[in-house]
Amino acid sequence: MRNILLIARREYLEQVRGRAFRMTTIGLPAVFALILGVGYLSSLGLGANRHMAVAAPDAVLANAIRNQLVGDKEAKARIDVFVQPTEEQRAALVTQVHTDQLDGLLWVETSPGRIPTGTFVSQSSGDFITAARLKSALTHAVLDERLMGGGMKQGDADTLVDGVPLDTWQVKKDGSLVKTNAESSLWKGYVMALLLSMTTMIYGMNVARSIIQEKTSRIFEVMLAIAKPGDMLAGKLIGVGAVGLTQIAIWLAAGAVILFSPLAAAIMTGELAVHFTWTEAVLFPVYFVLGYLLYSSLFAGLAATCETEQELQMYMPLAAAPTWLSFALILLVINDSNSFWSVAASLFPPTAPVIMFLRMASEIPPAWQLALSIGLMVVSIWGVLWFSTRLYRVGILMYGKRATLPELMRWLRYS
Amino acid sequence: MPVVELVRVTKAYENKVAVRDLSLSLEAGQMFGLLGPNGAGKTSSIRMMMGITLPDSGQVNLFGKPFERKSLERVGYLPEERGLYKKMKVLEQLVFFGELHGLTAGEARKRAADWAKRLEIDEALLKKTEELSKGMQQKIQFIAALLHDPDLIVMDEPFSGLDPVNAKLLEKTLLELKDQGKAIVFSTHRMDQVEKLCDSICLVDKGEAVLAGRMREIKSRYERNHVVVEFEGNDKFLTSPEIAEAKNFSGHAEIRLKQHGDAQKLLQEASAGATIYRFELVEPSLEEIFIWTVGGKADA
Repeated sequence: MRNILLIARREYLEQVRGRAFRMTTIGLPAVFALILGVGYLSSLGLGANRHMAVAAPDAVLANAIRNQLVGDKEAKARIDVFVQPTEEQRAALVTQVHTDQLDGLLWVETSPGRIPTGTFVSQSSGDFITAARLKSALTHAVLDERLMGGGMKQGDADTLVDGVPLDTWQVKKDGSLVKTNAESSLWKGYVMALLLSMTTMIYGMNVARSIIQEKTSRIFEVMLAIAKPGDMLAGKLIGVGAVGLTQIAIWLAAGAVILFSPLAAAIMTGELAVHFTWTEAVLFPVYFVLGYLLYSSLFAGLAATCETEQELQMYMPLAAAPTWLSFALILLVINDSNSFWSVAASLFPPTAPVIMFLRMASEIPPAWQLALSIGLMVVSIWGVLWFSTRLYRVGILMYGKRATLPELMRWLRYS
Repeated sequence: MPVVELVRVTKAYENKVAVRDLSLSLEAGQMFGLLGPNGAGKTSSIRMMMGITLPDSGQVNLFGKPFERKSLERVGYLPEERGLYKKMKVLEQLVFFGELHGLTAGEARKRAADWAKRLEIDEALLKKTEELSKGMQQKIQFIAALLHDPDLIVMDEPFSGLDPVNAKLLEKTLLELKDQGKAIVFSTHRMDQVEKLCDSICLVDKGEAVLAGRMREIKSRYERNHVVVEFEGNDKFLTSPEIAEAKNFSGHAEIRLKQHGDAQKLLQEASAGATIYRFELVEPSLEEIFIWTVGGKADA
């Protein structure tokens, strides 16, 4: 045990002191924030400040469309209205679009007893945001006109057109009702699953890379004269896993600081309010450790059979396939977190960490399912470690040749 | 009680027998040379001694008991494939290895500093390993193997890659350790070092011991039929019928006499045409014994 801890400490200190640790600890959240920030900021100006022309045979309809567009605060649109335009006027307006005097033209046609139709003319075929705004304004205006034509008051018509409010409530196990937000649940589950799978993979890869580096530097033979191969692998897994937990702890601490900031308060009370439970807070590190141990022991066995990092990288996508499968199941799990396939995927060890967190986003699964999933993962980790240790203890002394499948089978039998 | 003993060990990899029926033993205070051409099975034998690989048959005993990992705490090992953690500082690395061998961090640090001074590399202790030359790294590895004061020292090609000055330093250190009662096994291709340092040798070829025993006893098996002559003048005597084989290095000749060849007669022939500075009847060198034995030309 002493040797395992000494090896783990060495591994931990080497990685924590390394530049890569500092870069990923600060860099990864910064990159995430940057991507989200850039995405948000760039979306702010999209389709805004357009100078448009709306041409319709009916003045009421034309003004209703104009009011809808002007009422959209984000659009900040300037609208010129043309009532009963002639074909010459249409040609002139198209020329103005062509010569950049106008950003676009909405040409509306009506005929008795039929729903009005619109044509959007602009220089950019990809300006889907403006097209969507025009379509929405036209639909709202036509619906308003029809509903008020049927005798409805304008306020009621506006409410109907905006959509009838629908609250979602969830009945908890104890029978209590809790107001929920499906969209925020999806995002919370997605972000946690992404974080979990990403850290698991990154640190699993770190274990594999470290084995290849030690194999290249020929340190193994020195180490084997002092420590057992099993102790060496265990020390490596514990050391690198502790680095991962340290990084997650730093991120959680930074997250906690941000959560108590005024910015977070604004976010948490909004439409996309995200709430974390204690169960999630406790299970996150548990599933990280289990997922990490499962994948890193798999990667360790794989790395022991490889000669170079390039060779290792060829096999990685295959080894990481269950994680991609987990993400392919997102909609299925979020839609019905208690369906047979959701439960099965959350119990299947390679997909369990990600799927369990996706399920938890909707509802905390029953305790027996959590216990079974953790139990199955522990058994799988033991099994994978059994194989990997055998591959590891022979593979680390094999230099200069790539192991074939029959050789791998022989390695398993050697020990 | 032998410190290390291999009893009829055999090890095969797939279709190749690396070591066949090899036996050897070594007492405390002795230095043992494991010799053999490339691929003869030296490293495989050493790996079995260290428990890195297990023999298919036969037995490895350390300190009078069948091999157990606990015995490795009393063994210092320098493998042929040198390896150190490149990013670690030298002192941290030595302390790490010392701790793995059961020393406290403080004790390991103190011993590392003492050894570094002894091997004249104390200025390297605070540097990263990757900043050091290959020779310096080899000294660090040497210290790592000795830090825990082992009773048995096993070194696979310890002199390879060292310049003559550092090779001399290493030889001196090994002799001091031997005088302290340590048992030392090393493999090498450098016959001159084996001849100078080792009490016993085992020559391995194709996995089998072809020559083994105490150095003195092995050399005495061979006839004293070698002559070294240093001379000036006519070298015609080198074609004498007494000579089986002669090499002339401008004034320095190494001669092997025929069986029952007469050295006195040769001396007379040589002094008739040249000035003789040295005429010495010597045993064959270990290098010659090695070449004859491995090449199947043993003359014993």
